[in-house]
Amino acid sequence: MKKNGVKMIKINSKNVDVFYGKKQALFNINLDIEENQVTALIGPSGCGKSTFLRCLNRMNDVIDICRVKGQIIINDFDINDKSCDVVRLREKIGMVFQKPNPFPKTIYENISYGPTIHGMAQSKNEMDEIVENSLKKAALWEEVKDRLHEPGTGLSGGQQQRLCIARAISVKPEVILMDEPCSALDPIATAQIEELIDELKKDHTIIIVTHSMAQAARVSQNTGFFHLGELIEHGSTDKIFKNPENKRTQDYITGRFG
Amino acid sequence: MNKNKEKLLNSRYRAEKRFQFYGKSAIFLALLFLTIFIFKIFSTGYTAFQKTWLIVPVTFDAETMYLDENPSKEDLEDADYFDLALQTMFNLDKSASEKQQNDLKRMVSYFFEREIKRELLNDPSLIGKTKDVYLTASDDLDQVFKGNYPRDLPEDQRRVTDYQLKIFDQLVEQGRVESKFNLSFFTYPDSREAELAGIASSFMGSIFSILVCLVIAFPVAVLAAIYLEEFAPKNRFTDFIEVNINNLAAVPSIVFGLLGLGILLAVFQLPRSTPLVGGITLSLMTLPTIIIACRASLKAVPPSIREAALAMGASKMQTTMHHTVPLSMPGTLSGTIIGLAQALGETAPLILIGMVAFVNTIPGSPLDPAASLPVQIYIWAESAERGFVEKVSACIMVLLGFLIIMNLFAQIIRHKFEKKWS
Repeated sequence: MKKNGVKMIKINSKNVDVFYGKKQALFNINLDIEENQVTALIGPSGCGKSTFLRCLNRMNDVIDICRVKGQIIINDFDINDKSCDVVRLREKIGMVFQKPNPFPKTIYENISYGPTIHGMAQSKNEMDEIVENSLKKAALWEEVKDRLHEPGTGLSGGQQQRLCIARAISVKPEVILMDEPCSALDPIATAQIEELIDELKKDHTIIIVTHSMAQAARVSQNTGFFHLGELIEHGSTDKIFKNPENKRTQDYITGRFG
Repeated sequence: MNKNKEKLLNSRYRAEKRFQFYGKSAIFLALLFLTIFIFKIFSTGYTAFQKTWLIVPVTFDAETMYLDENPSKEDLEDADYFDLALQTMFNLDKSASEKQQNDLKRMVSYFFEREIKRELLNDPSLIGKTKDVYLTASDDLDQVFKGNYPRDLPEDQRRVTDYQLKIFDQLVEQGRVESKFNLSFFTYPDSREAELAGIASSFMGSIFSILVCLVIAFPVAVLAAIYLEEFAPKNRFTDFIEVNINNLAAVPSIVFGLLGLGILLAVFQLPRSTPLVGGITLSLMTLPTIIIACRASLKAVPPSIREAALAMGASKMQTTMHHTVPLSMPGTLSGTIIGLAQALGETAPLILIGMVAFVNTIPGSPLDPAASLPVQIYIWAESAERGFVEKVSACIMVLLGFLIIMNLFAQIIRHKFEKKWS
């Protein structure tokens, strides 16, 4: 979105290096993410795009041997700073994973979990509203409204992934990270999720890691191309796909490696 | 070339068939041993659930009991029934010599006095009347009646005299010998007399020990497992702890018994022979089993669930308590039950802490002296009387039944509450 012709930057990463033990996985990444836009991260397997995504909500903390250097600034605040509280951070930055991973609980409990732990609803009615709105936004409400108290794991793969998206948006995050959200889904479910992503960018900034270049071209406004742990090129999706500056980007996009 | 290929293919099929045959034979062999074992126990033990009674006419003569006229309830309570009981037995053969009278007395258990007293207390109007009373037969006659006792041995090698057999056969002919369900096997404590011995004290002892063991081992083990698996940093020190927990699970149980003896009894001066000490000792043994089961089921919770919770902004503690631990509970609980079942069958450590003592009272709390089922089996198996042979098998049956129920319960928990994730 452009405000007064100036693109608003939501996330600003400066000189980000990531190490797994002694092995360096990301080299000096500088990438700005625009607000209320979809940014796609593409690149061959093992290029570090998922690692970078997980830096943005500090999910790499879970991995003992992983170290992150550099600055990632969200809302003028460096999330790698010691004073940053990860619980608060992850409330603002939701995440959707490659494989649908609903909690083995009811559909309702799946959605209400986030608002409950963050104390977002004062009453049962308020919670019902949050659940309904989240499911509506994730285009799942019509399919599940009669069985909110059945297990979320009983849904189909595509429905489960939309449930996970509904769960992520239930706490009204500013940013949603998606790590190959469609790679385990069939083409119809994929199309539904892509439509949803387009809808969600009105309220959220979205960063999506994808293996499918067609998907990146369809859903994103900006694209970053990673290769061997480096950010080779980034810019508007149009430019990256039609007129890449770097030879490697061109080779990857035209399918010469990857 | 083609022929070679066919040969190779055929030999591969043959190898598979051979392997299947070996596997099937192994299963058959295992089942065979199990069947023999169970058949042996049942065929020896089932008679212990029957008890032989002699139905003897008792004349409740006030004079023999040294009672005044119109005795009160207390008088009946305090009266001397011994002479009456003796007289009752002597009446079976009025012409018996002194030695034979002694034999007559030994045809019933030494509870005969109490059994006659109970009859009168139930119905005080019996005074002056005659009534048939059920008296517990001595264990030797019990065995004779059940056909477990060789009657054709020479008399001097038998515990039953010819005279006793003669009187007994007369009673059988008159229909005065009856076999009924042996309730006292479940309600009486241990006794030196096989016909009066029951499992009540060892059964209660086992229950109390297991409860003490559960109350101590479960919380400690689950907390240790959760901390080690979810929170502890992975370094050399925690590796060292992990190795030692696994080693602890392999320590012979008698070592724990020595520990109980040396520390709980000698240092802390806890009461000897009690389920409290037994339970604490067993909990040391069960601890590593539960820790290992709990850690395994925590590990089995898919990391995607943890990531989902963490990404929602749940803290480590919330992730663990809201998601990981509930999902691991079925596995932990069934591991716990299996650990307890192991503890239930444990004998050696209990012997060392004194639960092998002869206890002829039923414990009312974990602080009362008691035996336990496996130790009871051990005590009875050491006894020479023929009456104890069937009791050993019967006690094994009770213990096995207990274990089967516990394991069944573990299976049900596992199947019913285990959540399936996509």
